[in-house]
Amino acid sequence: MNCHVGNMVCLSQRSQAKFRMILAILILIAVELVHPTVSCKNETCSQLLRHSLRLTRLMSKRTTELLETYKTSQDFADLICDMQMDNVPVSTVSGQTISQRILSVYTHLKEFLPHMKTVMEQQKDLNPPTNPVAEGLNRMITHVRHIAVRVNCILEILQPNIPIPEPAESPTGIPHAQNIFQQKAYGCIVLTRLQELLSQAVQEQKSLKKGKMCRKSTKNGS
Amino acid sequence: MGSSHHLLVFLMFLHYAVGFTYNCVKILPDSSSSIVVEVGKNFTATCHLLEGCAYTSDDIEWRLGNLSIAKQSYHRINETAVSVTINISSDMSDWLKCTAPKESLSYKPRSIYGIFLRAGYPPLKPKNLSCIAVQEDKDISPNLSCSWDPGSRNPLIDTTYTVYANVPGTVLTHKADCKQHLARFCVVNLETFPIHMVLKVWVEVKNALGSERSELQSDSSYFAKPNPPLNVQVLTEDKFPTSLVVTWKHPIDRTILKLSYAIRYRKVTSNVWIEVPESFTRGYIESFRLQSLEPYTQYVVQMRCIGESNSSYWSNWSPSVTERTTEAKPASAPDLWRIIRPTSNSRNVTLIWKAPVKANGKIRFYNLSINQNNEKFESHNITADNLSQMYSMELPAGKMASIEITAYNSAGESPKATLSIPRSDKELPGVKDMSWSVRDEKLQVKWTAVLPLPHPLKLSEYLLEWVKIPQSVHQKELPAGWQRVPKNVTVTTLNAGLEKFKRYNISVYPIYKYQPGHVWHFQPGRPVTRPAYVQQGPPKEGPTVTVTKSKKNSAELTWEETPLDSHQGFIIHYTIFYAIGNTKQWKSETVGPNVHSYVLTDLASETDYVVYVMASTEAGSVKGTDCTFKTMKYGDGEVEVIVVVVCLSFLFLTVFIIMICLRKREVIKKLLWPQVPDPSDSSIAHWSPDFPIKADLPKEDVSVVEVDVFDGKSLCEEDKGVLPLKKDKYLSEEHSSGIGGSSCMSSPRHSVSDSDEGDSGQTTSSTVQYSTVLGSGYKGQTPSHQPPAFARSESTQPLLDCEEHPDHLNESQSRSSYFRRGRELEPGVLAPECDGGSLTFCPVQEEEPSPVAEEPPASALCYMPQKSGYRPQ
Repeated sequence: MNCHVGNMVCLSQRSQAKFRMILAILILIAVELVHPTVSCKNETCSQLLRHSLRLTRLMSKRTTELLETYKTSQDFADLICDMQMDNVPVSTVSGQTISQRILSVYTHLKEFLPHMKTVMEQQKDLNPPTNPVAEGLNRMITHVRHIAVRVNCILEILQPNIPIPEPAESPTGIPHAQNIFQQKAYGCIVLTRLQELLSQAVQEQKSLKKGKMCRKSTKNGS
Repeated sequence: MGSSHHLLVFLMFLHYAVGFTYNCVKILPDSSSSIVVEVGKNFTATCHLLEGCAYTSDDIEWRLGNLSIAKQSYHRINETAVSVTINISSDMSDWLKCTAPKESLSYKPRSIYGIFLRAGYPPLKPKNLSCIAVQEDKDISPNLSCSWDPGSRNPLIDTTYTVYANVPGTVLTHKADCKQHLARFCVVNLETFPIHMVLKVWVEVKNALGSERSELQSDSSYFAKPNPPLNVQVLTEDKFPTSLVVTWKHPIDRTILKLSYAIRYRKVTSNVWIEVPESFTRGYIESFRLQSLEPYTQYVVQMRCIGESNSSYWSNWSPSVTERTTEAKPASAPDLWRIIRPTSNSRNVTLIWKAPVKANGKIRFYNLSINQNNEKFESHNITADNLSQMYSMELPAGKMASIEITAYNSAGESPKATLSIPRSDKELPGVKDMSWSVRDEKLQVKWTAVLPLPHPLKLSEYLLEWVKIPQSVHQKELPAGWQRVPKNVTVTTLNAGLEKFKRYNISVYPIYKYQPGHVWHFQPGRPVTRPAYVQQGPPKEGPTVTVTKSKKNSAELTWEETPLDSHQGFIIHYTIFYAIGNTKQWKSETVGPNVHSYVLTDLASETDYVVYVMASTEAGSVKGTDCTFKTMKYGDGEVEVIVVVVCLSFLFLTVFIIMICLRKREVIKKLLWPQVPDPSDSSIAHWSPDFPIKADLPKEDVSVVEVDVFDGKSLCEEDKGVLPLKKDKYLSEEHSSGIGGSSCMSSPRHSVSDSDEGDSGQTTSSTVQYSTVLGSGYKGQTPSHQPPAFARSESTQPLLDCEEHPDHLNESQSRSSYFRRGRELEPGVLAPECDGGSLTFCPVQEEEPSPVAEEPPASALCYMPQKSGYRPQ
């Protein structure tokens, strides 16, 4: 009986072990599927950091220009763009260590993407079809996504053993029933905060450059 | 019911009549569409007989298209299956059929099954994939143009090319299907160009036989091609004549693509670009100073850019910008030279010069200073003008001159050029053995170096001068060109644009230098000159020939030398062509180039000739104008000889005649002037008693009677007409003549012979006695009342013509007739003719009696008839 029971137990243990293995493989596959393949090994650390910094700086500049264009096209005052709106991600980079702060940048960038898409859609509806803001936003989304890829690679270098939590591109939480003013205010707030975020991202990457991140990682790597 | 039965029967009949497509074979592999097979590979198909089929495997036959496949390729698997293996070639796209033939006289239908084979190749891997995204406005275009080499092999089957682009780390992949056959170019739209990202691009080629892929992955900037630098400008600076400042604007923001620049420049007159080293322009700059340029020179500048560290494609070159550097003072001296033409008691010196090679600006004027015998003679400021850079002066043969010239531009003066002209008798030696040749359509001049000269003279250089012959009439042109070569060179090529077919005098001068003080003096030596052509051609025109002397068998030709300008080369010889008239059978004679006259010999006399002269250079010949002449009939002196011979002959004949006459003068005298008996000595007076003999009759030896002819005609002339009519009678009268039978004054009827035949037995060769008849009077005497007197002559001369024609005498009876001696001396009258037609007298023998003597004369009135006869002497 014991044996039988024991055998039963053995069988259940074996089946559990198999199940865990299969589950781990499935999770890994799922993660791989969800998490886009980031090819960070094609470039050296310095190249990566240089390109990332340039891209972030370019996007920061472009966002400023886009915001100006936005304000000009919407006849908006600066005050409206600075007002509080809970559903829009904050631009504040948090964290104690550089890795945490870079991770914060990464997370915020990911959070901004759905809001940017929403603003772009709203702008397309508001001023079709040749809306420079919508067009700029479309490019901006691509570039922000590219910045996120770069920052992800930096994170891989900064903390190679810690998996990077991937924030889902969840809905914005902004109700659809916004009036035009609310939509314009929303778009301006998103762009303003994005610009602030990118500015901070530039600063963070500069500090990485100054902190000779690549030299350390090269040493570690070697 | 009945009708439906009939319809069924009809359908059955129709079914068998048309044939039933019953099929009991099938091929594996099978496909509803074509089966693609690879060329060069073996393909095996199996034909199966379906269950219930009446055939066996032996009945199966394979066909490809309409051709049967050899049985050797069959493989019988079992009773119901036969396979076939074929090697696929590129032209085997056709039906592969398996048939079970219908047996003869069998009602079994024919079974057939086919599959369509399509032969093809698997795709080749695309090679040399490259993609480019050009700059648009201030960004990089999202359109990525990719190109590759698809290979030359035609896959024969449908093959697709697809380009993919992806930013690693992102899920979005862009792709573009390339529609064209064997595509080698395609554009993929990335929507947004991924700046500062890695970009992965690959092209995938697929067909039914496989797929291939070529990949390219690099930083996105490597795919970008920026625009050329914007607003490129070239600026000059007054104080820096050897530099230019180039400024430009970045074509794209540095946050997108940080650029480095390349600058190239060249002189306007040159096609060779000079590129500024990239290390000089590597930084992210917007200006650059080009240095070490030449003053007052136009430069063309272009720019292009590339991503930092060559991280992108090069942009195109910017449009050219041209700018000239500012002036600097001339860095070299003018090139001074002279041309000396000796005159009667002086020398005409023409100073010519060229602007400094390194003028470094526009030469405004020249300062020319001339010293004669070390004393300042004259100084001039001559405005710079390319057309009048010369100055003429007279320099006595016994004086030396020293010339200095300086060029000026807006920045300053040039170094000084000096030249010395020695006295005529102080010339320095020249080079030896100068020669020239043509190489690559240029003149190459060669000479022997001069021997070292005693101190302080030193050889400085050589100068080669060329002067076009004949000299140009354009006075604004420099009369000569010249070129200086270093002293260690003895062979050089003239870098002058010498004209073809023009003669040039090439001279080589050694230039000596000496330093009497602080300044070097330069003095040319004696020149050695040779004529030369850079290229010879046939003469422009041929010489015009003239015939100066034409003789019986020769002619002297002369031709003028054509103008030197029309020679177009060295005349190597003249050829004289000549032919008779239009025979075109030309003969030729060749003479040297210095010969301008020639004597053609062996010509036919009195013949028209055509002649022309052809001038020849080594490059060809040209004929001159034709000249026609005619040779003489007689040669030199022939006419003179003939004239002399004729004259001499005539003279000789005359002399001969004269000699004859002199020698036979007595005979001639007797013939011309027959001896007329002197009437005074006649004895007639003795036998004519009726008329006294006048004692005062002239004793002139005249045997004629002067007759006064009224009509001016002689008796003889009048007698000619009537003479033939009276011939017979005449003869009879002659025979009846009493005084020799031939005297006009003798009466035939009353001749002496009538009465005295024996007394007249003389012929004309013997002495004939003549009688003078004084018929109608003599010298004014009127013997009308006097009886006719007969005088007998003792002359032996032949009878006068008139004497032979008594008729004339009859006619003249009515006139005063005289016989003159002169008239009777005419030779024609003198010729004795004995034939009947003669008008002259003919001596007859007086002794012969005339048978018609008794007949009375028709009209014999010239003298009185002799009635009583005469007495024999």
